Order: sequence, then structure tokens, then C-alpha cells
Amino acid sequence: MSITSYNGSALVAMLGKNCFAIASDRRLGVNFQTIATDYQRIFEIHEKLYIGLSGLGTDVQTLYQRLKFRHKLYQLREERNMRPETFASLVSAMLYEKRFGPYFCEPIIAGLSEDNVPFICTTDLIGAKQYSSDFVVSGTASESLYGACESMYKPDLEPDDLFEVIAQALISSVDRDCISGWGGIVHIVTPDQVITKTLRGRMD
Amino acid sequence: MAMMMPPRMNPSDSASGPKQHQSWSPYDNNGGTCVAIAGSDYCVLAADTRMSTGFSILTRDYSKIFQISDQCALASSGFQADIRALQKNLDARHQTYQHQHNKQMSCPAMAQLLSNTLYYKRFFPYYAFNVLGGLDDQGKGCVYSYDAVGSYERVGYAAQGSGMQLIIPVLDNQLKSASPLVLPKRESATPLSESEAVDLVKDTFASAAERDIYTGDGVEIIVINAQGVQKHYMELKKD
Amino acid sequence: MTGKQPYVGQGLEAPHAFTLMPGPTKHTQYPYVTGTSVLGIKYKDGVLIAADTAASYGSTVRYKSVERLKACGKHCLIGASGEISDFQQILQYVDKLILNDYMWDDGNNLSPKDIHNYLTRIMYNKRNNFDPLWNTLVLGGVKNGEKYLGVVTMIGVQYVDNHVASGFGNHLARPIFRDEWHENLTLEEGIQLLEKALTVLFYRDRSAINKVQVANITEAGINISEPYALKTNWDYNAFKNPTVGAEGSW
Repeated sequence: MSITSYNGSALVAMLGKNCFAIASDRRLGVNFQTIATDYQRIFEIHEKLYIGLSGLGTDVQTLYQRLKFRHKLYQLREERNMRPETFASLVSAMLYEKRFGPYFCEPIIAGLSEDNVPFICTTDLIGAKQYSSDFVVSGTASESLYGACESMYKPDLEPDDLFEVIAQALISSVDRDCISGWGGIVHIVTPDQVITKTLRGRMD
Repeated sequence: MAMMMPPRMNPSDSASGPKQHQSWSPYDNNGGTCVAIAGSDYCVLAADTRMSTGFSILTRDYSKIFQISDQCALASSGFQADIRALQKNLDARHQTYQHQHNKQMSCPAMAQLLSNTLYYKRFFPYYAFNVLGGLDDQGKGCVYSYDAVGSYERVGYAAQGSGMQLIIPVLDNQLKSASPLVLPKRESATPLSESEAVDLVKDTFASAAERDIYTGDGVEIIVINAQGVQKHYMELKKD
Repeated sequence: MTGKQPYVGQGLEAPHAFTLMPGPTKHTQYPYVTGTSVLGIKYKDGVLIAADTAASYGSTVRYKSVERLKACGKHCLIGASGEISDFQQILQYVDKLILNDYMWDDGNNLSPKDIHNYLTRIMYNKRNNFDPLWNTLVLGGVKNGEKYLGVVTMIGVQYVDNHVASGFGNHLARPIFRDEWHENLTLEEGIQLLEKALTVLFYRDRSAINKVQVANITEAGINISEPYALKTNWDYNAFKNPTVGAEGSW
């Protein structure tokens, strides 16, 4: 089995009206054996910036720890939080540092700028950034996610509607991928609050 | 000892034999996507009209749908030469059947024939990914989905080809029925009306054409019902 | 499979696909002397097919007066790219087919579509035996007012379209055709369009030479031009200074 599909993962982020949503599955496996059904792939960097990491579990954790460290240093030096675009560049640079021995991770960065303009971005495992004005996907179920998001997405959705769309897209896609699933978790981030919901889907 | 061997062979690569050119492949993938949906009294079959090889488009106007009988049609994507040979093979067998039995083959019978035809070439397969659709003996829609060597299953809806992974989750979301283990046994056919099914197919192809480079140019849709066969066509993105 | 079919004769028994015994090879799986692109377009009154007259032996342009366009019967013309000896073999098959058809003497003759189908079956059959004819064939014809233009590749893939090309032509000529082809091209416009594509191919395809033939097939008959040279312009700025504006170049 390929190293990027060893643990299995599915991640998606979508832009809404003055908000964004980021969702992931909850399975962690070793090849076809499921080990954990509550694995965390989406991490908060600061209250308006989230990063989701798909791919090899150990790299997910290591990268998150390294990024958390870098952001804390940034906060100490700059006395403010990082802007999403800046953070995306940081992720890209850190991944490219390991160009010839990469982290087997494909991150999704999602955040709100200071003026609360939502931002999403994804990079490949060696740091090639891809901005988007609608949605980004990552993980072993990415092809299915592309199809589902392309069909279901509409621009400028309110937070409740955005939740529905991203939840349906995620669940439909992971149900066709045997190494991702076991439910889902969705974070909807608006300027005032963060709503986190867990999804119940096929538990297999 | 080494000098007595023919100049091309060295002792070091005697295990591999004489040097080989890079070989040609008897297969090619001409791309494309096929979808079918079974209704209570209709069947919708659709396929895009693009034919490609590598990163080039050969033609924008190639039909992947083949009408085998009045009640049964085959949509196939994959290697076009094998698909054409497969279609001719089935057509010839169907004509023989008609001469011998004085009637057309039913869709379930054709489904079994296709499976056997594919398995016959188990060790040099037809590189064809097929979806067979039509009306069964009771007049209900039926769809059969195949792999390249003939394993098949009757389903309520199916997709095959390069855009399969993009389309199937959307069809699941709209059409998936309860598990077959649930009692009482439920119908596999969808409760959608014919026009809703056609609209769903058009939407899914439009989405697939966005993200799959081998799907595009146009989608040919046929509807088989008690009134016969109706054709629709929709343009898709040409990039 | 007795010898009734025109293309199965002595020495062409169906070989076993895989043989572990070493010995003289009876299947060729790579080409030696090859022709490059063939282009075809439909126009108002018929079909135009063009090709240069070069045959290369690997990277050497070995033969410069090879006719890669041949008329077959009254209504059809075949242009071939790929292995020239295999093309000569194909012409033998087609000749036998046309002859047999003529001998029926029934007032009917094979249409371009029939010949296209026949060629497809031959190419596919050889591919099934792991002994391909290493050609991509462009076939054009007019019968009963209907214009026909199609392609068959060496593994049996076939299609028809309003404009076609083989080899490099697919990458360099088809985009030009997609931009500029339309239903009602006159003969002059058609030839101009083909010459434009042939010129680009001459500039950019290393196995192409500046000696081309254009064939015109109409209801009235088939006319293959004598080979002639295209007008070329080597004064373009892009040729003189190709790396100007390219990032990272010097």
C-alpha cells in the first residue's frame, strides 16, 4: 500500500458567506485494520485559523507540533496572530524544506483575515500552494470529494446551509472509500463563533 | 569464455537475456465516463462523447452507447478498439438468438451473455468498463455494472470510467436505498421520475467534466421506456 | 480460418501470443523506416489529405521521395504514417479487397466506410496476435455525395471527424484545425489550411521535410498532386531569439 494511503484520511474545506467550514473523517487505520475512530486531523492555530492535515498519521502530528511551535514564536515576536495567507506560506516553506524526503501530508489551511474575509488554501506534500475561491479537498477520498463538492457546492452559503453541504459531501465521499470514514467532524467558523459538530455516518 | 558468446550478451545479464527495446502496449485508454440509472418503468443511460489518447483529444463527437436490442443498451468506456469488437460480438450473438428464438433477448439474458463474453477473454481481457441498462421482463428499469473480466451485479444505478469516482458519491447521496439486509426487501429502483433522473445525470456530468480531464465535450443521454428509446444531448466544457 | 479471407494466406498462420522458445522473431514490435504525420480535412466539395514525402530510419531522414498517399479504388484514399513496409503490406490487402469487389461486377463498389471498417478489423486482429502493423492510417473518400474522413491506429482504435491528423499532427495541426476549420471551406482555403499546418510541422517536427503532397478526393475522382515545397519563413523573431522572455533562460 502506498505511504500516503497507509492510515487513510479525508479532508474538505469550503468557503461560505463571511464564514468557512472545515471537515474531516475520524478513522485512523493501519492498512485495512481500523485502530482509532476519534483521530484528530483538524487543529486550531488561533481562533480564526485552522489547519487540517491528511496523509500519514505520524507526519500529521509532527507537522502540527512544528507549526504550533512556529506560530507561538511568531505571536511572541509580532504580538499578534498570523494572517491565514502568511500561515499558508509558512506551511509551504516548511514542506519544501523537506523536498527530497518529504512529510507525507497534504494540508488544508482555512482561516478568516482581520476583516473577517474567509480564506482557504491547500498544498501538496512538497508545498505547492493552491488557493481556491470555492472548496479544497485532500486525502485518500479526494477524487470522490472533488465530484461531490463540485455537484453540491454553491457560493455565499450561510453557516447553517454550508454545514449541510459540507457534511453531505464528506459523508457521501467517505462512504465510497474503505480506508476513511467512521463518522466526521465539522468546524464552522464565523467572525463571532466557532460551531463544532460531529457527524454520524456508516461506522465501517 | 566470454569472448565466445555473441557480442550482445554479457555474462552479467545472462539472466535477463538479450537486450529488449521498450515494448509497445496492446492497450490504450481512450477515456470517458458512463452512467446509468434505473427507474420503476424507465432506464437512463448516459456517456460523454470525448475520445482521447494520452493528453490529446482525438475527437469530440464519439458515441460510447450501443443499442443492442429495443430494450437494452450498452454504455462502455475504456479501450475503444476492444469496446467496438465487444459490441460487434454481442450484436452478432443477439442476431443469432433472434433467428433461433424468434424474439429479442431480454435485458437480464443479455447481462449474462456480456459477463460470459468478457470472461471468455479472461487471460487477455477486453479493456472495457461496461454499464448495461434497459427494461427487465416486468418492464422495470434495470442496470448492470461490470468490471473488465465480467463480474457483474444488478444495481439501481452505476457509473464506470475515468469520472466514476467523481460521480458515484453524488449518485449515492441522491439515490442510495436502504441496505439489502433490511427487511422487508426494498426495490433497488429509484423513486425519481424520468425527467428528474435525466436532470441528475446532466448535473453529475457537468461536475465531472470540471474535474476530470478525460470527460467533456458533450453528453449523450438515452432513455428506454415503454414508449421506446428517446435521445437527449447536452454540451459540456471543451477544455 | 481457411484461406478464403484475402489477408490470410501462406506464412501468416496465427502465431501463439507467447512463446518461450528463442529463435527468429516472427512478430515485429518496433518500427524501422517510418513516415511522420498525415493530415486530413473535409471541405465543401470533398476531402483533402496531405503528407510529406519523407521516410526516416530512426533519426536519419533516409528516403525523401516516398509516396505516403495512395488511392484505393475509385472513392477512397489512404495516407499512412509509421512503418512504410507495413503500409505496403496494407496496400496489398486493400488491393486484393478492391479486386475481389470489382470481380463481383454487380454495379456496386465498396464505400470509404467499408474500407475503413476492413482496415480496422485487420489492425485489431494483428494487435490481438501481438504482431501489429505499425501504422496510423488516415482514410478519406467521397461516395454518393457523402464525404468520409477517418483514422485507424495500430492497435485498432478508429474514429471519424471533420479534421484528423496522425502522430505529431495531433499536437500541432489539430489545434489549428479546431480554430480555423469550418463546413464550407473552398478548395483554395482547404489547401491553405493544410499548408499552414504542414509548415508548422516542418518547423517543429524533426522527421518532417519541406516536400509535400496534397490529395484531393471528390465525387469526380481522386487527384494526388506532384510533390512540392512549402514557403517557409525563417525570419521570425521567435526563431532568431527563441529565449527572449523565457524565464530563467539566457
